[in-house]
Amino acid sequence: MHISEGILSAPVLTAGYVGAGLLAAATMRGMDMEEVPKLSVITSVFFVTSLIKFPIGPSSVHLILNGLAGVVLGWRAFPAILLGVILQAIIFGHGGVTVIGVNSVMLGGGALVAYGVWQLRHYFSFARKEFAFGALAGGIATISSGLVLSAALLTTGEAFFAVAGAVLAAHIPIMIVEGFVVGACAEFLNRVKPDILAGQKRAKPQVTAT
Amino acid sequence: MALDIDRYASVASPIQRWDPRVKTAALGVLIVTIALLKTIPMAAAALVIGAAIVLISALPLHFVSHGLSFILVFLVPFFLILPFSYPGQAAFHVLGLPFAWEGLRLAALIFMKALAIVLITFSAFGSSRFDVSMLALQRLKCPKVIVQMLLFTYRYTFVFLDEMRRMYTAMRARGFIERTDRRTLRVLGHFVGTLLVHSFERTERVYKAMLSKGYQGELHSMVEFQSNGVDFIKAAVVLALVVALLIGDVGGRFAPAAQAWY
Amino acid sequence: MVLNVMPHSAMGRRVIIDVDNVYFTYPDGHEVLKGLSFHLHAGEKVALIGPNGAGKSTLMSHLNGVQLPISGRVVIEDLEVKKENLKQIRRKVGIVFQDPDDQLFCPTVFDDVAFGPLNLGLPREEIESRVKEALAVVGLEGFEQRSSFHLSFGERKRLALATVLSYQPEILVFDEPSTNMDPMNRRNLINWLKAADRTILLCTHDLDIALEVCDRCLLLVDGRILADGPAAEILYDRKLLEDNKLELPLAVMTHEMLHGILAEQEMDEADRVVIGRFLHAHRHVHGPDSHRHVHVHAHDHDHAHLHEEVDETHFHESEPHDQGSDLTPGGAAGPSRDKLKVEGGK
Repeated sequence: MHISEGILSAPVLTAGYVGAGLLAAATMRGMDMEEVPKLSVITSVFFVTSLIKFPIGPSSVHLILNGLAGVVLGWRAFPAILLGVILQAIIFGHGGVTVIGVNSVMLGGGALVAYGVWQLRHYFSFARKEFAFGALAGGIATISSGLVLSAALLTTGEAFFAVAGAVLAAHIPIMIVEGFVVGACAEFLNRVKPDILAGQKRAKPQVTAT
Repeated sequence: MALDIDRYASVASPIQRWDPRVKTAALGVLIVTIALLKTIPMAAAALVIGAAIVLISALPLHFVSHGLSFILVFLVPFFLILPFSYPGQAAFHVLGLPFAWEGLRLAALIFMKALAIVLITFSAFGSSRFDVSMLALQRLKCPKVIVQMLLFTYRYTFVFLDEMRRMYTAMRARGFIERTDRRTLRVLGHFVGTLLVHSFERTERVYKAMLSKGYQGELHSMVEFQSNGVDFIKAAVVLALVVALLIGDVGGRFAPAAQAWY
Repeated sequence: MVLNVMPHSAMGRRVIIDVDNVYFTYPDGHEVLKGLSFHLHAGEKVALIGPNGAGKSTLMSHLNGVQLPISGRVVIEDLEVKKENLKQIRRKVGIVFQDPDDQLFCPTVFDDVAFGPLNLGLPREEIESRVKEALAVVGLEGFEQRSSFHLSFGERKRLALATVLSYQPEILVFDEPSTNMDPMNRRNLINWLKAADRTILLCTHDLDIALEVCDRCLLLVDGRILADGPAAEILYDRKLLEDNKLELPLAVMTHEMLHGILAEQEMDEADRVVIGRFLHAHRHVHGPDSHRHVHVHAHDHDHAHLHEEVDETHFHESEPHDQGSDLTPGGAAGPSRDKLKVEGGK
């Protein structure tokens, strides 16, 4: 869920941009010439998956998967989501150019929280822990994003309290959907290509000689 | 899903001929101004300006309206919720819920501003090739690395969209139907996982191909920008509009409170 | 058993690629190249064949320094592939990979073809003329402003080649160039490869293309070169190929099958002539002027080949060879050949 244009006030919009800028700088540290094209290609997968819909009754919801971005990309999930938000604003026609900052902080922040939750799996050991922690990461990413979105709406004034509440409530079914999908995906990746998952104990092989 | 916003970038118009750097900067300022408007008349004026810009850009209407359909759907809930959630004195009640004109006014304000911005965004990015727009942003001091990554991401979106469609067709061919159940969620999880695995393998190959062609970290471009007086005249017009909107908006806020629509 | 026959076409030409006892193991412990050695000479067209997993991709990565050997060395035109030399190495060796979408990543066709020359720092006019040239060579003139991802598969394959041609490497390496290509594009590619005046290494499962284009063939199995010899011998060696999870090229199999039919089956004279004519014609299907006689026994005839008629004395019984090669291609024609009747010419 994103926020649209024309709602938020100048201070909130500015805070969004500042926040996004700081988070981007922090999470893009040490990106070398190899990572730039690689991260871009992976970002485009996440971008494309946001077109996948899950049916709920008569309508459907789009997958967001910012939690999965955190599980797979770790810190680099933030720049990936920033890119996705910018692209969405430009090419889909939903608008969103003024709220790129806020949307990035909202979704990207959620992804980073998801990464944190995902990393906690190292302290545990039980069957299907990848599914469990993936699901947790996916769900928590959604609810964190929802909280940031609601908070932004609240700053606009009392008129938006109801909207903020509705938005938060709407995130609950989404949280369940995202949780399950991210969990299933994490489990799948763990079986098929565990290197992809962030924070695997085995060091990522530096395969190419630059 | 129309992913290539620049499909009609070759359609000639004053907007299309505008130096992309000047265009993006000027329209960017206009967009930000509109986002911050607080009065209905100015929001309406902004919408008129937005519509005018789209018309001047000569972009096909079916193209624009397709893009608009999403934003319109998104904004409808505000009309339904805001009039009833607005704090303070209710004008009357509908089905037991307090209805406030101010709420409706707020919804209308948001609607007009959002629509105006979307129209202008469409015009700006629909009238130049995507990579040209991105390079314009780079010349306007957007971080180079973000722009380079945007270009790559955009390019590979089409590849993965294709792949996703093919995988989906194959899935459907084996009898899979999406339902509101856990199995669907699991299948979607595996679907996304497969796509991710393919993308990781592809990044390795793309990087190898780039290295093989001599890539050393710098992405060069041969796009050259050239601006002339006309570009700046267009920018001046836009900035004049910006100033007018601001004056009208600020002035409107201090108008007598008796006029309910201000 | 390593068959090492120095093809005469290579004699006297300088060594342009020298792979010397290369070992390579991936960081995950998988040893892929186990003492790989071969040479390529300037102007040669060589096929690199082998079963999946033999190490073809890894070997290709070593040719332009994307991977560096753990031991042994790779020398390209007297320049050893090392970290310091990578820029020059990559200028000399152009690799055209299998999937065009891995190699087309720029916004326009022009940009993709200009990528290589831009990385070399060439001046603007030079780049523009090279792009134009490269696109003309692959038949994509006028495509400069199109976006790469809206082209058809065949066009993208050709474009991928153009992106390598534009920086004019002396050595071209192809990874499965004919996969998924429609017959016309494949034919055009074959013609281009045959006419190209460059050193070419063709890594492929399409043994027919290897047979048509290449003089020499390397068989890579399990990280080592198992066979290195004339294409016309290695690609006719049924036992060698089948032992290594390969098969005879389709052209050879068809040839054999028809020989078998001629030798073993009872049939009318008229039918014999038809099959004989087909067999004969089959060898010249690629035009009267530019073809090679792909015979089971690679030797010269002292008679002219007439294309319109079947000259059945053309079908020889197997004889001991005296052409410098002491190989009898195993099994390819042995028993059935003996049964062939040599009849008087028609």
